[in-house]
Amino acid sequence: MNISVVSLELAALSIGFLIIIFGLIFPSFRSSKTGGYLAIIGLLSMLIGSFFLPASNTQTFINAFYVQDDLALFFKQLFILAAIFINAMSLHYLKPYTKNKGDYFALTFFALTGMMVMASAAEFITLYIGLELMTFTFVLLTAYKKQDLKSGEAGLKYILLSAISSGVLLYGLSLLYGLTGKLDFAGISSVFSLGATSPLVVWAIIMLLSGLGFKIALVPFHMWTPDVYEGAPTPITAFLAVGSKAAGFIAFIRVFFHVFSVYTSIFMPLLITLTVLTLLIGNLIALAQTHLKRFLAYSSIAHAGYILLGVIAYSKLGLSAILFYLMLYLFANIGAFAGVTALVINTGHDRIADLTGLWKRSPFLSVIFLISLLSLAGIPPTAGFIGKFYLFTEAIHQGYLWLAALALGMSLVAIYYYLMVLRTLLSGTNEETKSFIIPFSLRLVMIVSAGMTLVIGIWPGPFTDIALRIAQSFL
Amino acid sequence: MISLFYLFSAILLVFALGTVISTNLIHSALLMMGSFFAVAGLYLLLQADYLAMVQILVYVGAIAILLVFGVMLTRKGSIEESNLPNRYKGIGLLTALGLFGLLARSIYYTRFPAPPIGHPTQSILAIAQAFLLQYFVAFEALGILLLIAILGAILIGRDSK
Amino acid sequence: MIGLSHYLFVAAALFCIGVYGVLTKKNAIAVVMGIEFMLNAVNINLIAFNHFMAPNHVIGQLFAIFIIGVAAAEVSLGLAIILSLYRQRHLVAIDEMDILKW
Repeated sequence: MNISVVSLELAALSIGFLIIIFGLIFPSFRSSKTGGYLAIIGLLSMLIGSFFLPASNTQTFINAFYVQDDLALFFKQLFILAAIFINAMSLHYLKPYTKNKGDYFALTFFALTGMMVMASAAEFITLYIGLELMTFTFVLLTAYKKQDLKSGEAGLKYILLSAISSGVLLYGLSLLYGLTGKLDFAGISSVFSLGATSPLVVWAIIMLLSGLGFKIALVPFHMWTPDVYEGAPTPITAFLAVGSKAAGFIAFIRVFFHVFSVYTSIFMPLLITLTVLTLLIGNLIALAQTHLKRFLAYSSIAHAGYILLGVIAYSKLGLSAILFYLMLYLFANIGAFAGVTALVINTGHDRIADLTGLWKRSPFLSVIFLISLLSLAGIPPTAGFIGKFYLFTEAIHQGYLWLAALALGMSLVAIYYYLMVLRTLLSGTNEETKSFIIPFSLRLVMIVSAGMTLVIGIWPGPFTDIALRIAQSFL
Repeated sequence: MISLFYLFSAILLVFALGTVISTNLIHSALLMMGSFFAVAGLYLLLQADYLAMVQILVYVGAIAILLVFGVMLTRKGSIEESNLPNRYKGIGLLTALGLFGLLARSIYYTRFPAPPIGHPTQSILAIAQAFLLQYFVAFEALGILLLIAILGAILIGRDSK
Repeated sequence: MIGLSHYLFVAAALFCIGVYGVLTKKNAIAVVMGIEFMLNAVNINLIAFNHFMAPNHVIGQLFAIFIIGVAAAEVSLGLAIILSLYRQRHLVAIDEMDILKW
């Protein structure tokens, strides 16, 4: 038994329970921001501690069903980083919506635990339980603004649709179990490599693809995304866009790079179809959005499409491009959602029209939006350009020129709609001229995320090296 | 054994169909309870005695009762018309029939390897060992998940006034 | 003789009944019922596979217990949200929930 493998999960759970228990003992703790500060300090120490953890394929807990390899550790650090930003964004955002802040901060830790379990799971039962732990906590957090009519509705839609998708996923898993008699990734892939194809394998692949595709919001399993993103509290939307999606991707990577590696000829056509659909629909519907959070939801759907190019390339460089893109996607999205949070705190609305004349009211916020949206659009010198460049070149390198061309064309459409939003922001005048008040914690989140977006964009070397090292150790 | 299988399967499928066809939500809930009993019967035929017990305790005893409570607490209008289909009835029927046809075809054409000869283990002991040894992480995570569900039901369900 | 595929056919039929219920019901509680049928179909699959293919371990049964546990949590959380929406807006029908368009 190797406790260091589960140390991050244990730390997250302990802090979560600590916040809940404090809230039960001292009622004032629940309504104050202290829980949030405790959460941020705890997460920061977890992040620092995670760099001293040993990580290799042999680091297992009890048995090989729970591993801490480089890939798992990388994703865990990504999740912790996201959780730090989310808690810092929530400190001031929550005030008008709820008196009970303590439980909210605690819940983010349980979602984090679920994601970390997903990152380390090397076996389907553990993966499934981690996935549901994450989903349930997100449902709760989505429905947390009880006075807001949108919030509860979004929560209900999220839990119903995710329950349906996990039903489909489970049916696929049951077929997989029937075909191989095993549920651990290594065991299943060793049985598959003996070579026995049955029509049920195709079903298992289709069902796993739709179940996991739901989590990373692939078209046509994206229906929940805009509604839930709009209804959820804005920091939770950011957590969904960054954390939940990355957790979906780690499961996706493990399942399709490892378990089904024998059946690339079966799942690749399906995956390519889904990618084309995701790129087209995500980008084209984003054009018509008037609501900032729905707009970012469609943009996040489109980004899942770009990231899938790395899975389709199916190579070490493709995997490293995915990891690199997830890093920069985190910073760009956190920057954008922190901007939306500031907008909501100051104006109470989150429509694109509310951005009109922002440049005069708050140049700082405008610059943050500018950097984040340019990075999402993929314009140099921001990080998004480098990330897209790596993904597209690797797809071309593996012989998917037409797909890369399509993705490039769609990212031109994307540049158009991001620039439309930026034009609203920079031009025009708003009768409201009161300048924005941005709390210090939110300001810090914005500075760090926008700063990192620029740093990765200008000096990508160290970050691509990390991504490449992890990809090499996995494949 | 053979007749028992057909009996349980027939009860299960007829009651399940009744659940989704009935327009009275209370009838649906009661039929659903019956179908859960039939599922437990199938588990018994498969020598999964512990699972049959869990099925009755959790599905019939907790989930179905909870759903009946949900039906009663959200009464609106006539109970006779509390469970109407939406406008996608035709599409839903086609999807379900098509899915069944394709799945059944795949199952029919799949040749499963001959069953290995093995004695069914004493299931409760083996399950307990797997829970606490091999699948320890998943077991603990499930515990936390149930805790979250309790916490969530209180946080969301509690009247905020 | 009743074999594995008999159980698989029953499970597939139950799964499709669940899918039909999920797709065509207005009432959120009825949708939850459809989801429960889907999960039960999965459990029948798992236990049948366990019995016929690999009787000397219990992984299939174990997975089924996990699924039952998750299903219980799902129903309680789902009903809590349904009740809170009902209190707020007197709604249980999904197609009346249109503040967020689908």
